[in-house]
Amino acid sequence: MPQQYETYLVDGVKFPFCKGCGHTHSVRHLDKALAILQRDPTGINLVSDIGCIGLVDALFSGIHTVHTTHGRSTAFGVGIELADGILHDSDLKTIVILGDGGATIGLLHIVHAALLNVDVTVIVCNNYLYGMTGGQHSAFTPYDMVTTTTPSGNIIPPMDICSVAQSCEAGFVARTLATDKNLAGVLAKAIEYPGFALVEIMEICPEYGLKHGGIDGKKLKESIKEQNKPLGILVNRQDRTEFSVQYNNSIDTEAYERLKKKNEFTIKKEYTSSLERQAGVVIAGTAGERVQLSSYLLLNAAIASGLHATQKNDNPVTQGSGFSISEVILNQDEVYYTGIESPDYVVITSNDGLREITANGLLSRCTDETILLVDASLNIEGVKGRIKKLPLRKTFGADRAAVGGLGVCVGGAGIVPRDAFEREIEKRFREEGKKIISKIYELTDAKFFSENA
Amino acid sequence: MTDFLSNVRIRSGNQMVAEGALRAGCKFFAGYPITPASGIYKTMIDMLPGKGGVALSAPDEISALAYCVGASLRGQKAMTATSGPGWALMTETVQYALMTETPVVIAMVQRLGPSTGGATQNAQGDVLLVENCTSGGYTIPVFTPSNPVECYELTHLAFTWSELLRTPVVVMLDKEVGMTSEDVDYMRIHDLTTLSRQRIAQSGNGSNGNVDTYYFEHPEDVPSFVPVGGKIKTTVTGSAHNKAGRLQKNSPETLEVLYHLQKKIDANANQMELVKRDVEDGARTLIVSYGITARTAREAVRRIRKNAEKVSWLNVLSLFPVPENKLRNSLHGIERIVIPEENFGGQYRSVIETLFDDQDIVGVNKIGSMITPDEIIAEVV
Ligand code: SF4
Ligand SMILES: [Mg+2]
Repeated sequence: MPQQYETYLVDGVKFPFCKGCGHTHSVRHLDKALAILQRDPTGINLVSDIGCIGLVDALFSGIHTVHTTHGRSTAFGVGIELADGILHDSDLKTIVILGDGGATIGLLHIVHAALLNVDVTVIVCNNYLYGMTGGQHSAFTPYDMVTTTTPSGNIIPPMDICSVAQSCEAGFVARTLATDKNLAGVLAKAIEYPGFALVEIMEICPEYGLKHGGIDGKKLKESIKEQNKPLGILVNRQDRTEFSVQYNNSIDTEAYERLKKKNEFTIKKEYTSSLERQAGVVIAGTAGERVQLSSYLLLNAAIASGLHATQKNDNPVTQGSGFSISEVILNQDEVYYTGIESPDYVVITSNDGLREITANGLLSRCTDETILLVDASLNIEGVKGRIKKLPLRKTFGADRAAVGGLGVCVGGAGIVPRDAFEREIEKRFREEGKKIISKIYELTDAKFFSENA
Repeated sequence: MTDFLSNVRIRSGNQMVAEGALRAGCKFFAGYPITPASGIYKTMIDMLPGKGGVALSAPDEISALAYCVGASLRGQKAMTATSGPGWALMTETVQYALMTETPVVIAMVQRLGPSTGGATQNAQGDVLLVENCTSGGYTIPVFTPSNPVECYELTHLAFTWSELLRTPVVVMLDKEVGMTSEDVDYMRIHDLTTLSRQRIAQSGNGSNGNVDTYYFEHPEDVPSFVPVGGKIKTTVTGSAHNKAGRLQKNSPETLEVLYHLQKKIDANANQMELVKRDVEDGARTLIVSYGITARTAREAVRRIRKNAEKVSWLNVLSLFPVPENKLRNSLHGIERIVIPEENFGGQYRSVIETLFDDQDIVGVNKIGSMITPDEIIAEVV
């Protein structure tokens, strides 16, 4: 015969709440609910919040208690339960208890817990105000109620937390009075529910709610009616799957294997680079036109040629419009400084790119040795360096201009072995890659580059 | 040239933070998107579930860290990643982790502030914001990698110290370190030993056979961990408490616990010291740097020495607690310390200045674009 638990409260428990406080009722009912469920105490985890109700953890014995920060109780409870449900497969039951103040400041945590349908029971003890700090009104205070911060009566409509939970697909939602004799049974059902459950307990705070707002037991019932807030079990859905079950079922092992393989791809040194000193390459164009991809191909080719190389990208906060700039640095030795002080090679394929590297000062840092390959459509003046205008956009098309221009630059200047870069183009663009490569040859003016060298 | 026996992949610092976390046994990640830290979130989402862990999105940074702290309370190694604006939201929960002695690692990738600042612009302006985020001024251990291999190793190390000390630990990158991709030779990653928090012995620890959640004998000791949800009752609280986890106001035992939270870190500060040093005999200037500017400084050193001049360089990898001994040991013959930082006030310099008030300490400071090697060289004698 297993042990019988009559109570989970500490021996000779003394409630720290004011006389007549709804919290005392709620805690007693919670204890009765636990006695109904007869769980081993260490199979229960009570997460508490800040405020008068936050004193609840010290009243229980044997169960896990986690006293948290204001409003965050639900989020900590969810974290514990996510780890427990998915990684431990135990049947720990996490109960979060907080006030209307905690539910106000921590509303998003309740919303997300409901959406996830994680196995947490949230008990909101709603007494229309913040008791511990002096009776200030909360988002749950009804119309016209006088509190210490609404001396003329509250003019803001009260939140309906049960409706909020319901609209977030909560599987179990109930609202009862703290004095309702069925409360323990409702709480037991909520805790047992395999998924997110929310119970709103309507309470009075004699110290402030009664003194300032005149909310006694009778007025509480009237105000609930006026707010059109139904009592009882409002939702009890069987169609939602608890989050840890859903999470574990959703894991597509093969997809993760593929990601792992892709991620573990290594680059072998198959070419030899004759690069003599560090080179800084800048590709400037328009977002969505494969600027960053083309420099990624160069990065791969450089590393396959035994070089050290870095790549960094810049674009406006929006990802798919405006400029796109990519910088690649190549060196036989480790690259220390990842910025480009004066660029060695610049490929500009569009006005967006030209404008940006003008504005950020990069163009003004070109030297007489800088090689610039610039789309024929662009006006570029007063820039140091050897400028070659090429019909990049016309020849390769807008979204291949960057890779084409960079190909001309790489091949002509010998930044990395030609074959290495061509292989990357073919890997990425397949059949089309061959055409891109032949156009690169057509546009490469060997004389321009040899004069430069 | 890369090694013949190499294992080279292209990696960003952000990716390597994620991989270092996995190597450390991280089993739980909750993230919220933010440039320039999103790469960590994405990598964890891609890799952690395949390794039997949990990676999921949170609805804000407050939840992200709270989920991680919850998972750690349950006994799992957990991490989240963010940038300055997200860090601002997390500080309440960082303090909760500290107070409840819950291990958790936060990867913090700095960008230009204040406020939302510049999402894609580099900065090292959150150094003091991170370190001084607690009421009471407790030490938050902070590690600062400057390249992908260090990102991997220091994230692994952050887990080690977080577990051993039962306290939140930050791996602090900057946008340049986090988002720059480069060749990474995995053969260069050191052998790493993974350590985990000391768990409670079955017999308990506290008085009269009870287990006190925060029991320690000496203030510098770290309490053995009892997981929430295990077979031994836990009493966890973020309020001032005694060793049993009971809320108490100013009892001698509660004050002892409050001192203990710092003493356990102080007692290990020497062991946590980590720097990379390149000290040259006869050098009169020492460049002290961290994060991306450590690489800039190293390039400056390369150039200075190419000119047959002398200079010493020190890369601080354990930013906090300040590696005071290792710094002091590097000062032989040094007349000037140069500290380049991509913030305008010289945040780490202000900390160093209080420790070495007999030294000539100058900063190289800039925001909006990277400090250049030449700007550092100009300050070196
Ligand atoms: S202040 Fe109000 S809520 Fe707090 S204990 Fe007293 S009656 Fe209860
Ligand atoms: Mg209240």
